[in-house]
Amino acid sequence: MSERAHKEMMRKMNRKATYAFGLAALVVLLFGATLASSASAAPAWKFEGKALEGTETILGGAEKSAMTIPGLTTTCDNFLYELSISNSSGTGQGKLTGMPLFNCYTNSSACFVGPIGAEALPWNSHLTTVESTPYVVFEGVKVGIYYEGEECVLDETLVTVTGSAGGSINNTTESATFNSTTLKTTATELKALGQKIEWTGVFPTEAFQTHRLQPLSVS
Amino acid sequence: MHMHRRRVACTALIAVALAALGFAGTAAAKLTGNYAKFAQCPYTNLEVKKCIYAITESGEVVLGSKKVPIEKPVTIQGGYGKANEESFSTFFAATNGITLSKTPQNVPGGLLGIVPEAKQPWLVKQLIKFFFENSLTGLNSTLELAKPASEIKISEKHLAEEIGIALEMPLKIHLENPFLGNNCYVGSSSSPIIWKLTTGKTSPPPPNTSIQGFGGTAEFLEEGRIVETKGTKLVDNAWSAPAATGCGGIIAFLVNPIVNSSLGTTTAGHNTAILNNTLNVASRAAVAKNNEENP
Repeated sequence: MSERAHKEMMRKMNRKATYAFGLAALVVLLFGATLASSASAAPAWKFEGKALEGTETILGGAEKSAMTIPGLTTTCDNFLYELSISNSSGTGQGKLTGMPLFNCYTNSSACFVGPIGAEALPWNSHLTTVESTPYVVFEGVKVGIYYEGEECVLDETLVTVTGSAGGSINNTTESATFNSTTLKTTATELKALGQKIEWTGVFPTEAFQTHRLQPLSVS
Repeated sequence: MHMHRRRVACTALIAVALAALGFAGTAAAKLTGNYAKFAQCPYTNLEVKKCIYAITESGEVVLGSKKVPIEKPVTIQGGYGKANEESFSTFFAATNGITLSKTPQNVPGGLLGIVPEAKQPWLVKQLIKFFFENSLTGLNSTLELAKPASEIKISEKHLAEEIGIALEMPLKIHLENPFLGNNCYVGSSSSPIIWKLTTGKTSPPPPNTSIQGFGGTAEFLEEGRIVETKGTKLVDNAWSAPAATGCGGIIAFLVNPIVNSSLGTTTAGHNTAILNNTLNVASRAAVAKNNEENP
C-alpha cells in the first residue's frame, strides 16, 4: 500500500469513528430525553394533538367487562361510562359522572345479577404515566351488585365493590384497558366481600361534545 | 272379632314402625361432596336462609390472668335466617343439638394453676392431695352456649366488610377437673359471657388495647352455592366475665374464692378472645336440593 493510500484510509476511518461517536452521543441524548419525558411528563388530554382547553365529556363503552372473586365471575355485556375531562396545570383530570351497566350475569347457574350500579358519584380521575405508558386512574370507585337466586349463597345480598382502578390508555385505538396488570402497575385495587378482586375490560373512548369525532390522545 | 282387632293392632304397629323409619331416613341426610359438612343444618326449615359450618382451628381465650390456647378444633354449625335492617340474622340450632361443639381445651398449669397450694385452706389441701396422688390434676376449659342457639346473632355483611359485630354469642366457660366437680362455670344462662366478635378493629377499655381481626379469603364453590372463607380472624377483647360459681361441689364456698382469686380481674378490658376460623356457608335451598338428589 502506498503512503498516500494509507493516509486516505486513515482519514476515512477517522471520519467513520467521528460519525459513530456522534451517532452514539445522539442516541444517548435522545434516550436520556425519552427517559426524562417518561419520568416527569404530566400527561394531558389532547384532541387532534392539541391539549384540551376547558372541559369535554367523553364516553367509554366496553363490549364486555368482568369482575371475578375466585369461583364467581360477574360480567356485564354493556358497561358504559361518562367522564367529564379537563387539564389542570398540564395534567389531565376528570370526574366520572355516570356508569350505567346493562345485561349483567354470572358464570353460575345459581346466581343472577339483580339491580347493579355505580354509587357515590362522581368519582375523581387523573392521568398518570408509568414507564412511558399513559394511564387513567379512577378513585373512590363504588359499585353495588345485588345477587339473586334461591340456590345462590349470595341470594338477596348486596355486594359492594370499592377501591380504585387504573387502566392503560392506547392512543392508537383510543381505548382504556383495565386488568390485573394495569391495576398492579398503578398501585390500585378493587375489593369486594373484604378481599381483592379482579376486573377486566377494554373501553373504546370518544368525545361527545365540541370535540366529537376528533382523535383523542393522552401524552 | 279378636283376630280382627289383633290384625288391626299389628298393622298399626307396623305403620308406626315404618313411619318412624321414614322419619329416621329423612333426618339422616345423605349430603354429598362439599355439601356433606352441612348435614346438621336445619335446611328443612324454610325460615333458614343459609347453612353454616365453621371450624375454629386455633386462637386463644384470655380470662383475667389465665390464657388458654385453642389447640383442638371447635365447631359452630347450624343455619341462619334473612338479615334484618341492622344486618343481623337469627341463628337456628344444629339438628343434632351440637351448635357449638363442647371441645375441652387444656388449661396450662392444670389444677394447681387455678387452685394454688399457698391459698388452699386445710380441708381443700387434704382433698387436693387425693387428686394429686391419683394424677387427676389436669384442667380443661370448655366453651358452652349459655343460652339457646336462637340467641346467637350473625352478620355476614359485617363479617365480610370487617366492621362492627360479626358474631355475637352468649357463653359460659366450663372448668373441668374431678376436684372442681361438674358445675364449675364462669358465666351462666342468667349471667352469660357475651362475645361480640368482629373481623374489624376492637375498641376495648384499658388495660387492653385495640386488636385487629380479618375477614378472610373467600372462594365460591359449587357455582356460587357455597362460599368457603379461610383465615377468618374473629376477635373481641372488650368482654367481661362474672365470677366463677359451683367449683368444688359441696365445698364451693371454699373453692370459688380461690378460683376467682387465681383468675384475677375479669372485668372488661382484662379478657380476650381470638378465634382463627374456616367458614363454610351454603344456600339452604342448595343443601336441600343436594339432599333430594341423593335419597
